[in-house]
Amino acid sequence: MNQINPNGGAPPPAFELSDVTYRYREVTALNHLDLTVNAGRRAALLGANGSGKSTLLRILNGLCFPDEGTVRFCGKPLTEESIQNDGFGFDFRRRVGLVFQNPDVQLFSPTVFDEVAFGPLQLRWPPDQIRRKITETLEMLEITHLKDRSPHHLSTGEKKRVALASILILDPEILLLDEPTAALDPKSASHMIDFLVRAKDSGKTVITTTHDLDIVEDIADECFVFHEGRIAAGGTPAEILSDEALLRTTGLMHSHLHVHKSGQVHAHSHLHRHEH
Amino acid sequence: MGAKHSGKRGFLERTTSSFVDAMEHAFYAERTARVDGLLQRIDPRVKLVGILALVVPAAASHSFAVILGLFAIAVVLAALSHVSFGVLLKRVWIAVLLFTGVIALPAPFVTPGKVVYHLPWLGWSVTAQGLTSAGYLVLRVETAATLCVLLVLTTPWTHVLKALRVLRVPAVLVTILGMTYRYLFLVLQSAHDMFESRRSRMIGELTASERRRVAASSAGVLMSKTFDLSNDVYEAMLSRGYRGEVAILDEFRIGRLDWAMLSAFALVSIAAFWLGR
Amino acid sequence: MHIPDGYLSPATCAALYGTAAPFWYVALRKTRKLLFTRLVPLISVFAAFSFVIMMFNVPIPGGTTAHPLGVGIASIVLGPWASILALSTALFIQAFFFGDGGVTTLGANCFNMAIVGSLVAWLVYRAVAGRSAITSSRRVVAAALGGYLAINCAALCAAVELGLQPHFFKSATGAPLYAPYPLGITVPAIMIGHLTFAGLAELVVTGGIVAYLQRANPALLRFTAPGAPMPHDEGQPAATSGWRATKPLWTAVGLLMILAPLGLLAAGKAWGEWTVHDFSNAAARQKIAQVSRNVAPPAAAPSGLERLATVWTAPFPDYSPSFVHSAALGYILSAMFGIGAIILLSILGGWIAHKVRPGPSRASARTEET
Repeated sequence: MNQINPNGGAPPPAFELSDVTYRYREVTALNHLDLTVNAGRRAALLGANGSGKSTLLRILNGLCFPDEGTVRFCGKPLTEESIQNDGFGFDFRRRVGLVFQNPDVQLFSPTVFDEVAFGPLQLRWPPDQIRRKITETLEMLEITHLKDRSPHHLSTGEKKRVALASILILDPEILLLDEPTAALDPKSASHMIDFLVRAKDSGKTVITTTHDLDIVEDIADECFVFHEGRIAAGGTPAEILSDEALLRTTGLMHSHLHVHKSGQVHAHSHLHRHEH
Repeated sequence: MGAKHSGKRGFLERTTSSFVDAMEHAFYAERTARVDGLLQRIDPRVKLVGILALVVPAAASHSFAVILGLFAIAVVLAALSHVSFGVLLKRVWIAVLLFTGVIALPAPFVTPGKVVYHLPWLGWSVTAQGLTSAGYLVLRVETAATLCVLLVLTTPWTHVLKALRVLRVPAVLVTILGMTYRYLFLVLQSAHDMFESRRSRMIGELTASERRRVAASSAGVLMSKTFDLSNDVYEAMLSRGYRGEVAILDEFRIGRLDWAMLSAFALVSIAAFWLGR
Repeated sequence: MHIPDGYLSPATCAALYGTAAPFWYVALRKTRKLLFTRLVPLISVFAAFSFVIMMFNVPIPGGTTAHPLGVGIASIVLGPWASILALSTALFIQAFFFGDGGVTTLGANCFNMAIVGSLVAWLVYRAVAGRSAITSSRRVVAAALGGYLAINCAALCAAVELGLQPHFFKSATGAPLYAPYPLGITVPAIMIGHLTFAGLAELVVTGGIVAYLQRANPALLRFTAPGAPMPHDEGQPAATSGWRATKPLWTAVGLLMILAPLGLLAAGKAWGEWTVHDFSNAAARQKIAQVSRNVAPPAAAPSGLERLATVWTAPFPDYSPSFVHSAALGYILSAMFGIGAIILLSILGGWIAHKVRPGPSRASARTEET
């Protein structure tokens, strides 16, 4: 699955953003941002809610384009013009899949079957091959029983699985996930986390945005902290999670009062990394 | 289009209850489509064409007997498909009587023709032509409505839409219809929640003008949300490779039963046209 | 206004499908060219919105509610062609899935509501709004008027289609085969409900949404306002609500409703002669003569009508012009007068209440809650 560089060296980074600035309605969502994510890595983009992580993912997915700066996908420029090109455009869409935060937006087809069929139909696969792959993919995600259901009646966990299925059927090399565990019940969330854990050895590049610090160590090999439109810090999960000052200034951690079983009441940080 | 007298909060309540009603109807239809009955087993394309081939003569025929015959066939099909008569009664037959029946009521009195009866106190005269006319109207509507409801109750709606392709409806329209249906319930739910939250925050009376304002601004908010949703869906489609081509994949397979039913529909339809011309 | 199956003859249905088809074709082509890949998501979601709007109960003056159609606002925000598609889609689903409206009459319903409605709403809106600013109150009035006229034109088309049925399509014995009432009955009967209740609901919704958008999201109004100057802060909400502009409109509508019947009555005999000819005796007598060769004294039908007429003309006991004896026309006059009076009284009442109790009520009415 890794990109083989014909020159025999290391493959180009999956994504390389240089000096990217993006403004929307008087708000500067991305401010001279630099980011490099190498192929085959699992990266987590941490940031408080509303910090612009979703915008960043949309830029990575070629849905909007920066006002300044450059975006490169596997060494090639990703621009409004380049994605119009049939060859590059189709290739990009097959190789990069985005799981949206709001599954109701992603599940726009009348049934689960239609939703999972959508991607392959756009890529003009032969109908029989599509039907076979749909069956396989639904089985893999254990949602075969949902095949003819309308998305409106599904639970959030089921919707997220259908969303994943609709992307995985194309077997993309790069997965972008926007707050994948948000609004999920614990069981569905753990399924999602398992999936992201298993992705480690698949060779896929996975970029996940989240503000949930508890799952970061499981789902990512490297972290980038997003703050005020730029990457404030990068490192392994262990490094980032132990930097409490950083976490506090970027709004990823806070102090609050709570009560222990012993009856003691005090305030300390959200990450309960101390013993009593 | 009706006008109703409302209480102070009546209009919000009545609107939300009609939302709930629509969602229930859809839910019920999805359930009956999964039952194992005659019509449920037939290919959606055959059903669509076949049932339309019966609706047209019902709406067109000059022969009362033909329309009655088609109605009887509809009832038989309903029975064979395990569609309960109670449901048909409530959702179709009585509803039609309350609407078309009331509309047709004056017809016997105002249609010119041969007088056959005089009402005792009012002295209004009833004409044969008027009675016939009212009868035609009510029976036509009942028959057509029963047939259409059978189609909807025995076929998943998304299959009905895909079957439209056989009638040469462009794929883009079928896609639009499918997506509209999908988001219909989301928009209904969103409107329902919005109204419920307004109801819970409304204490005391509103003047008439304020109530109008609530209705209009609710509609405005809903519209803004609608636009935001359409933009998000647009991006989601682009993300999956959409470039304007619509393609539809179905899982339809025609079997022997389907051909048999298609022939039956065709025969009945042709006979109905011939006899009722 | 959704015409069910069986009300229109097959010839009429086919003719209307045939009339609608070129509009659908053109609408699809134009919107495709305009929207490209946005076509499917925008039309679909908007059709869902139209569907839901049709279920709203809108309070109108007089304490009643009615259902709007949403064709006015669809046309103003999306333009007429996309509106035709969105509304036709909603109507299709209503007819097939919810049984509201027939499948053989879908062409007719789409023609009346989606096509005629969208075009009238857009034309009136553009004509009245002109090049006024996006956030001007003139646009609210234009929108409200556009919606009102659109729904009434749609209703008129439906009334004509229904009213022509008994004239053209009769059995061998002269019984109407489809819709049984002639123009003289269908036009007044349908127009009453729409000039008053449904028309007012549409007026409120169309004007109200435009007023709301002027405050909350003016960009949505730009598509059908090409020459309009934007407020210098793009996207800034209007300082004052355009809603206030609808007050004069209400007053105008109310006055119209009161003056129109009075005007008709005042016109007296000349109008009366014409009406009598078309609506009552001549038509009925003709039909009777045609149809029943050997039965029914001609007086039978008219006498029945006359009994009905006396019921409806009771409010106007002093008037004897013959045309008032037409049941239908008498009804429409009294209804219009009544509704007009209610509207004006409501406005007057609101004005008085406002003078007596300013401040808090106005502030609460302005609060925008989402």
